[in-house]
Amino acid sequence: MDQKTLAYINMYAILGTLENLCELDPEARALLSNKKPLSLCFDVKGGPKGTLTFVDGKIRMLAGAHNCDIKIPVSSCEKFNAIIDGKATPIPVKGFSHINFLLKDFTALTDLLTKYLRASEEDLADPVFFARSTELMLYVISVAISQIGDYDEIGQFSAHLIPDGDVSFSIKNGPAATIHCKDHVLSTEKRRPLEPRAIMEFETLELARALFDGKVNALACIGNGSISMRGMINMIDNLNRILDRVALYLA
Amino acid sequence: MEIYKHEKSRAWFDRAAKVIPSGVYGHLGPAEGNFIPVSQWPLLGSRAQGAYFWDVDGNRYLDYMCAYGPNILGYNDPDVDAAAAEQAKIGNCFTSPSYKMVELAELMVDTVASADWAFFAKNGNDVTTAAIMCARAHTHKKKIIFVDGFYHGVAPWTQKVDYPGVIPEDVANNLYVPWNNIQALEEMIAANDGEIAAFISTPYMHGNYLDNVLPADGYWNKVRELCTKHGIVLIVDDVRAGFRLSTAGSDAYYGFEADLITFCKAIANGWNVSCLCGKEFIRDSMSALSYTGSYWMSAVPFAAGIANITKMRQLNLPAILREKAVKVCDTFRSAAANNGFKLVISGEPALFYLRVANDDSLFLHQEWVAACVSRGLFITSHHNHFLNYAVADEDIAFTGEVADEAFKVVAKNHPEVFDGGCA
Repeated sequence: MDQKTLAYINMYAILGTLENLCELDPEARALLSNKKPLSLCFDVKGGPKGTLTFVDGKIRMLAGAHNCDIKIPVSSCEKFNAIIDGKATPIPVKGFSHINFLLKDFTALTDLLTKYLRASEEDLADPVFFARSTELMLYVISVAISQIGDYDEIGQFSAHLIPDGDVSFSIKNGPAATIHCKDHVLSTEKRRPLEPRAIMEFETLELARALFDGKVNALACIGNGSISMRGMINMIDNLNRILDRVALYLA
Repeated sequence: MEIYKHEKSRAWFDRAAKVIPSGVYGHLGPAEGNFIPVSQWPLLGSRAQGAYFWDVDGNRYLDYMCAYGPNILGYNDPDVDAAAAEQAKIGNCFTSPSYKMVELAELMVDTVASADWAFFAKNGNDVTTAAIMCARAHTHKKKIIFVDGFYHGVAPWTQKVDYPGVIPEDVANNLYVPWNNIQALEEMIAANDGEIAAFISTPYMHGNYLDNVLPADGYWNKVRELCTKHGIVLIVDDVRAGFRLSTAGSDAYYGFEADLITFCKAIANGWNVSCLCGKEFIRDSMSALSYTGSYWMSAVPFAAGIANITKMRQLNLPAILREKAVKVCDTFRSAAANNGFKLVISGEPALFYLRVANDDSLFLHQEWVAACVSRGLFITSHHNHFLNYAVADEDIAFTGEVADEAFKVVAKNHPEVFDGGCA
């Protein structure tokens, strides 16, 4: 597993999904209500630089690490990955006056995200929690696909074979993501594409969840129609090869 | 026109999925076969005859996939099957290989222009792998040049680094050049001077998901020249196109000679045998390989192969297939044009490749293909097709009827493209 690729996944697929957590979960929104706008950036040496903004109960992830209120430089991708894994402590060099936000509110948000992404069977028994958790996983996976296609050596090989255009990665009557390919560079937007060249759709939320959890086989699902694919199948075929590697990084 | 239902197919597939990984795997299954949407395709078959097969629901299909190539004379050809039945009565798989193997080898050498010898196995992958091993044994070099969009089987060396179960070391010595690009090939050879064992390619680019492309004028002669100059073994993978362009081999059809050439699908009209043919200079290297299989010398497929090749030669079958295929392609073109569709037909006529080009996503193409299949015309979305001798004029007329209705259905479903239902 490539540590740089994992760092990009941790930055944009994991921390980036805080955006959606606040949209879906009232508890997350409440943590940010009546708070001054704030920005927090991670500057990973040899890896990603990203800024989270917290404004009016909304979170946005932006590329780059400039003009932020709290700045956390990280010496390496390995160190950043350890921080995300809870095995190292982030140390800011700027924004000590906001240390309370970092220790309290931000930690609470990431703990809540972890609860959704590493959900217990007990929590998943609640249909509302189940739906939110599955939607968040869809976003994590769809963003991770782009990071793997852009940074992982084998993922780059797959991306090299993907023609330009948008692929819709979606759950029927539910959430969707767009995986955009331009000159074999991938990027993800967490919305349904307007003019997809290919569509990969899961029949139900439950099926998507079972697939994400590795409880069902994707090829068998294509056979029984619970996963449908159409359009430029060579786009989906190569995205699926990247999707195979998502589990390697997110396990 | 009746729209087929597939209830028994579904039931059989569900049973299959319980005991077979992915139910039906590989090119005949719904995933690799691109059954889009899966509900409109047969999943399991019951029987076949001539140009047709029937699924387990009793639906009949005019089959332009021909089991992905093996059916070249028509399913259950009486001459081929009689030879196989006769041989089956006296022995198939026994300890001493039947003399039928020698007879088929002699026939292959007599039929295939570049062949000085023949080596038999079961599937295309067996003989493409044999060809690569033979080339490496002969040259003592390790690198192989492939053409982008290639398919040469399923062994790890034929796959790509991102395929499940393949490790980087499996494909570490694979080099890739674009089709029809002599300059890229020259540069690749120069960049790997003295390290290249073989150049392997199909006779023309009949890869999947893309329009098929014939060799440019002079391309193969230049490739031949470069391979000879640099001591690179020239391997032609004729597993798919073999015997449909020429009984003498597709290298002969395009006016050059391969060092090694592989055959499989159409050798025995569905009986399981594959063959590697080679030039005299590389015979000893082939002899040196440790390479065999439990059923590779079974006599029944040899007997079928002898009958099939003999009949193909007597008929001058490639010329007949070409004539029929041109009619089929013209029929598709007319149906498309009459309904306002842009249908691109590429590749050699006997292995025509179809693409509806009204959109850049292939959504319309897949809808049309599915509409054809569910009305009894078995074509596929992203693979070349195959002609067989049993296709008659009335079958071609049926092709036109189904294609026309399917185009009308798609047009009606997409007024945003076809201006109110039928352009």
